[in-house]
Amino acid sequence: MKLMTHVVVGYPTIASTIQIVKAMEQAGADYVELQIPFSDPIADGPTIMKACDIALKNGITVRDCLKVMKTLSNKVSIPLFFMGYYNTVFHFGVDAFCKQAKAAGAYGLIIPDMPPDEEEHEHFIKACRTHHLAQIRVITPASSNERMKLNAQVADEFVYCVSHYGVTGSNADFKKSLKPYIARVKKYFNLPIALGFGISKPSHIRAIKDIVDIAIVGSAIIKIIDKYKNPKTRIREIKKFIQDILI
Amino acid sequence: MKLFNFKTKYDADNSGHFGIYGGRYAPEMLIPALEQLEREYVAIKKDPAFEKEFFYYLKTYVGRPSPLYFAQNLTKKLGGAKIYMKNEGLNHTGAHKINHCLGQALLAKRMKKKRLIAETGAGQHGVAAATVAARFGFDCTVYMGEEDIKRQRPNVFWMQRLGAKVIPVMEGSRTLKDAVNAALKDWITNVKDSHYLLGSTLGPHPFPSLNRDFQQIVGYEVRNQLQELEGKLPDMLIACVSGGSNALGLFYRFLEDESVRMIGVEAGGEGVSKKGRHASRFAGGTLGVVQGYKTIFLQDKEGNIAQTHSISAGLDYPGIGPQFAYLKDVGRVEFSSATDKEALRAFNLTVKCEGILPALESSHAIAEVIKQAPKLSKDTIIVVNISGRADKDIFIVAEALGDKEWDKFIKEKSK
Repeated sequence: MKLMTHVVVGYPTIASTIQIVKAMEQAGADYVELQIPFSDPIADGPTIMKACDIALKNGITVRDCLKVMKTLSNKVSIPLFFMGYYNTVFHFGVDAFCKQAKAAGAYGLIIPDMPPDEEEHEHFIKACRTHHLAQIRVITPASSNERMKLNAQVADEFVYCVSHYGVTGSNADFKKSLKPYIARVKKYFNLPIALGFGISKPSHIRAIKDIVDIAIVGSAIIKIIDKYKNPKTRIREIKKFIQDILI
Repeated sequence: MKLFNFKTKYDADNSGHFGIYGGRYAPEMLIPALEQLEREYVAIKKDPAFEKEFFYYLKTYVGRPSPLYFAQNLTKKLGGAKIYMKNEGLNHTGAHKINHCLGQALLAKRMKKKRLIAETGAGQHGVAAATVAARFGFDCTVYMGEEDIKRQRPNVFWMQRLGAKVIPVMEGSRTLKDAVNAALKDWITNVKDSHYLLGSTLGPHPFPSLNRDFQQIVGYEVRNQLQELEGKLPDMLIACVSGGSNALGLFYRFLEDESVRMIGVEAGGEGVSKKGRHASRFAGGTLGVVQGYKTIFLQDKEGNIAQTHSISAGLDYPGIGPQFAYLKDVGRVEFSSATDKEALRAFNLTVKCEGILPALESSHAIAEVIKQAPKLSKDTIIVVNISGRADKDIFIVAEALGDKEWDKFIKEKSK
């Protein structure tokens, strides 16, 4: 099973983001999401929301995020994604953002509030194609078969499945109903299956490892960052967390 | 049918776009619920039985029609146009918000939802949501920014008495837009059995059109009432605009009557030149996509939502309803703003001249009337929407006016 981890760029500082992502690769992460902080992140729970707020208060801009991507893509060899909200991309200019994200070394984009239905107005997916960025689609247990079909038509690399009805970091139950949900996703997506939202401990990974291909861990690592203020201890704890979760 | 079959050339296309505005930029989790809501919305527009039920409760529960009142003293004082006040403050729960709350509660019943989620700024929408929840048997949770809870404490009290759970929102600016975020997250988590009773003509499709259609009763009545009183159309309509529910309610039925001028009044706060200290989207706002829809938002150059301010919690919101952004672009509706001070002056004047206590939100609209009426001839007619009454504003008004006796009373009470 593969692992995708997550950071909020600039939380708590740009230097720490760079160290943390390097440590994530060393500990065994296969992909990392670099979240661009945004004022109104509607799919995120309190942990990531607070991290976004602090990063913004520290003055982190989209250009800073691009610089961090550039630095990191030269230092690590795993694929790095930008995760963010559509208003950030829209304000930067959709085509300009995609172009610069690619130039900075991003592998792809995860933008949960830009549904394919609005493509005709936004030309966002087109810009991803033009600049060779993977387009990660997010699917949920609420998604109808029609929604699955629509998203599958434009999805690349893997499909990001939200594990349960909730926001990031909320408690998940990986026992019930996960199998039929993932079976339904597989009917429409001919891609590896990634599962996220609420994955925070080894027992969660054990519960899902035979069902999905990639586990996504976000809020749980932000909580470690919150807990350990000393940079060295923090890096050690993040590495330990990732290694434990992968055993 | 009288209401729901009404259309204008300014309506959204089938996917909820008003020109470049509107749309449905929602996370995937919410799209099926929005699709379901849209299907029901399309169905009720063709269902005379639904409209009949809506009218029944408007009449017997809300107390409609609300009066269209000739403000003779204010008219005399300003010395120009004849001023009529559409007094939505006399509705059950004290504001126009009950109109769309009733409509959405009937819809939620059709969809067999068990629980209503609402956000509120001034608390008027929250009280109306809690009211319909009590009447029609829904559980109800209302999100309200901590800042607004302080400003509008009486409404919190009444929501709780009505059985709603009021959850303080501690994130961001702790005002209306943060309450919308929190409500959306609750909906994401509980979408199976809950309906999001969104409180204005904003958010992802179909909310802007849905709430407008429930609010059009205001303009529908004004048209008939003015026909009876004056035998003609109004020359000018004025209403305050945050998301736009009361303004669109008044304007919608007149959009295609090109002789009728319409002015939306935004919250000028401490002055529109003071960045972060007003909520006037057309003074420095830019195009963006936030909270599920595209419109003009007050935001920074990175697309992060800016701080806003208004003396009235109900107008303290960074985005404008998408249909209004469109109506401004095509030149159909004009916009202006009124500062906190102008709104307070308008409040005082209305109280003393007419014996009517307008909500601070509605006082912004009256401030524009004070500017417009003297410039117009005596045979012209202005209709202003008094979207709510001021009971909820007792603490803010007392503080703003420096009422010493009230202050003493509060201090004694707290002992």
